[in-house]
Amino acid sequence: MNPHAPLRLVVPATLLDARAATERIVGLCDRFNTQDRADYATAVMEWLVNVVKHSYAHAPASEIRICAIAGPEAIELMVEDSGQGMAPWKFDAAPSALDFDATDITKLPESGMGLAIIKSVMDSVRYHSDCGVNRLIAVRRWQR
Amino acid sequence: MLMEDLSEAGCLVVSLKEKRLDAVIAASFREAMVARIDQGHRNIVLDMSQVSFMDSSGLGAVVYVLKHLGHTGRLHICGVTPGVMAVLKLTRMDRVFKTFDTRQAAIAA
Repeated sequence: MNPHAPLRLVVPATLLDARAATERIVGLCDRFNTQDRADYATAVMEWLVNVVKHSYAHAPASEIRICAIAGPEAIELMVEDSGQGMAPWKFDAAPSALDFDATDITKLPESGMGLAIIKSVMDSVRYHSDCGVNRLIAVRRWQR
Repeated sequence: MLMEDLSEAGCLVVSLKEKRLDAVIAASFREAMVARIDQGHRNIVLDMSQVSFMDSSGLGAVVYVLKHLGHTGRLHICGVTPGVMAVLKLTRMDRVFKTFDTRQAAIAA
C-alpha cells in the first residue's frame, strides 16, 4: 500500500514553479530506487518546462494543472495546460533527438531532448488536445 | 548562480555551487562559461559534485559549452552525481563527455 493521497496542484507557468512542482511530485515516489527516482524527476521536469517554454510561449501569465496519483503498481501523472500545445501526431511522431553521432560535436543536440527522455522514462504516455485544453497522461510503474 | 574558479596545472577548474542545473539557470550558466572560454581558457574541468539534478536544458548548456570550445579545447567533467549521470545516460551523452570521479583525475587526464 502506498500512503500518499492524490496530489493536485495548480501552479503558475514559470520555470521556478515547474521546478517546485517537480519536487512535490517526486515526493510521492518513495517506491522508486535512487536511479528510477532521478529518471522520473527528469522526465517530469522536462514536460513542465516544455509547457512553460513552448505551450505558453506567448501567454506567460498562465497556469498548469497537475494531478499525480501514486497507486499500488505505478504512478500516474496528468498535466493540463491551456496554451497553444502541439499537434498530437507531432507528439507521437517526433523524431528522437538522441540519434546523433557522438564523434561529431558540431552536430550534438542542444535542445529537443525532452520528449525523448519522457518517452524513455515513462511506460505509457498519451497526449491530446481538446476544447483548448492540452493533456498529458503518463504512467510509470514502480518496478520494471 | 554560484560558481567558483580555481587554476590548477594549466586547467581552469569551475565548480558549480548549485544543487540544480536546469532550465531555470541554464542560460546564465552557458553565458558564464562562454565568458571564461572567450577570456582564453581552453582547458576546463567542470566540477559538478554539488549538482544533484540536471535536466535537458542544463545538459544543452553544457553541450553548447563543449561546442564553443571546439576541437582545440578540452572539457572534462568530474564529481558526477547519480542525478547528473541519469540524464547523461538517458540522452546517450555519456558517450560524448569524459567524466571522472575526482577533480585530480580530470586535471591529470
